[in-house]
Amino acid sequence: MSKQLVHIKGTKEGLVLRLDDQCAYAELVEELERKVSEGSIDGKVDVQLHLGNRYLSNAQQEELIAIVQSPGNMHVSKVHSDVITIEESNERVLTEQRETYVGIVRSGQIIKADGDIVVIGDVNPNGKVEAGGSIFVLGNLRGIAHAGANGEKESIIVASHFEPTHVLIDNLIEVMSNEKPFVKENSDQIFAYINRDGIISYERLQEVRKIRPLLSTVKGGS
Amino acid sequence: MGEAIVITSGKGGVGKTTTTANLGTALALQGKKVCLVDTDIGLRNLDLVLGLDNRIIYDLVDVVEGRCKIHQALVRDKRVDDKLFLLPAAQTTDKNAVTPEQMKSLVEELKREYDYILIDCPAGIEQGYKNAVAGADRAIVVTTPEISAVRDADRIIGLLEQESIEPPKLIINRIRKDLMKNGDALDINEITTHLSIDLLGIVIDSEDVISSSNKGEPIVMDPNSKASLGYRNIARRILGESVPLMSIEDHSKGMFKKLISIFSR
Ligand SMILES: Nc1ncnc2c1ncn2[C@@H]1O[C@H](COP(=O)(O)OP(=O)(O)OP(=O)(O)O)[C@@H](O)[C@H]1O
Ligand SMILES: [Mg+2]
Repeated sequence: MSKQLVHIKGTKEGLVLRLDDQCAYAELVEELERKVSEGSIDGKVDVQLHLGNRYLSNAQQEELIAIVQSPGNMHVSKVHSDVITIEESNERVLTEQRETYVGIVRSGQIIKADGDIVVIGDVNPNGKVEAGGSIFVLGNLRGIAHAGANGEKESIIVASHFEPTHVLIDNLIEVMSNEKPFVKENSDQIFAYINRDGIISYERLQEVRKIRPLLSTVKGGS
Repeated sequence: MGEAIVITSGKGGVGKTTTTANLGTALALQGKKVCLVDTDIGLRNLDLVLGLDNRIIYDLVDVVEGRCKIHQALVRDKRVDDKLFLLPAAQTTDKNAVTPEQMKSLVEELKREYDYILIDCPAGIEQGYKNAVAGADRAIVVTTPEISAVRDADRIIGLLEQESIEPPKLIINRIRKDLMKNGDALDINEITTHLSIDLLGIVIDSEDVISSSNKGEPIVMDPNSKASLGYRNIARRILGESVPLMSIEDHSKGMFKKLISIFSR
């Protein structure tokens, strides 16, 4: 008997389909179609696909999902793969990287980073810092700061002195006016983030730990 | 080998030309050989401020395009014997008549003969600015105590920091004590911390500056004016002396008040 190409396992969260990662893709498709059509499941069930060490293009992934979902009662909730392309890996490294800019971001200048950025110096009016991740200014932030520029909504903006003209996180924009007494009064100990209601808001620095616990990567402190 | 200093600002009308004329004259009075270069093509007026306008024969574009030799185009200022020269800008309207490369080699040539070459930059950040900066070793940024001028200075400093020249130095011009005191103008501290570059000096706002410019006689020639003192101090700092920043206290105080302020320190 030939090797099983599709292993099915039931878990609390639904079914896990473990797909062989050594056979030809066409064989896998064939086997999956057969398994899916002969299965007799009552009601709706969530399915996770585990691809192992097989790399699939987006189109191929969609094809497999479509096959699994074709009978109508199975829904693919997740696709796991142990491999990614070098390109994807590079992108990930970039966005997880923390970059440092030493100097003053002056009027008309734009400083960009794929991940987080630390600016050691001031950001002057009309100067702009744009980051895929969070922005930390060790100096006066008096210009424009755009954090999470590629959609990372968890990003925050912190500055030693927080007095920007514009605050942007993800695709939200806030024009800072004098109508924010809380920001003005706490400009030396404040950060900006997107709150649960999806609005940019401001809190004192000691709240970062509660609001963005994942920012902290160092354990301990005793 | 001399040193070329560009005098620039971003915003127009803050006093680049006045500063160039006065620092040039002050350095010449200190015995240095100085050449002033007006790069504000189409809008030349450094010659007017120096009172040399009616002696111009050739100009910068003539030199660059080979219609004359450099020394033929230089206008000598007779008041400071053989120390101060001006290379006037062309009055033709084509700003693109000169390239940064041409400016660079022109300034190189001048540096062989002069101790200081002061380059008067046009306002803005376009071609004229690029030409003016091309040959410079150092830069002086002029601003006034107004937000718009300081913003433009910030922009220019950002551009200058991209060039391979020394960090620029700042002159705050047209200082009015009364406005600074009641907060209607930015104060010196605010400006220098905002721009975070070294302050080379301050010059007070004075009608004498305007009237002397109109007469074609730079104010530094008048030893009794306080604006003149500002320029002289800056010239001495350029020469490497350490001169304390002058106070901006009103110079029109009567003798009696002056005495009181001396004793009450
Ligand atoms: N310290 C001062 N006190 C009073 N008036 C001054 C002072 N400095 C400059 N001015 C006046 O300001 C005006 C503009 O000065 P100036 O021509 O030197 O500026 P600029 O920066 O060269 O201008 P542009 O950008 O047009 O070349 C002139 O009328 C000048 O006399
Ligand atoms: Mg001028």
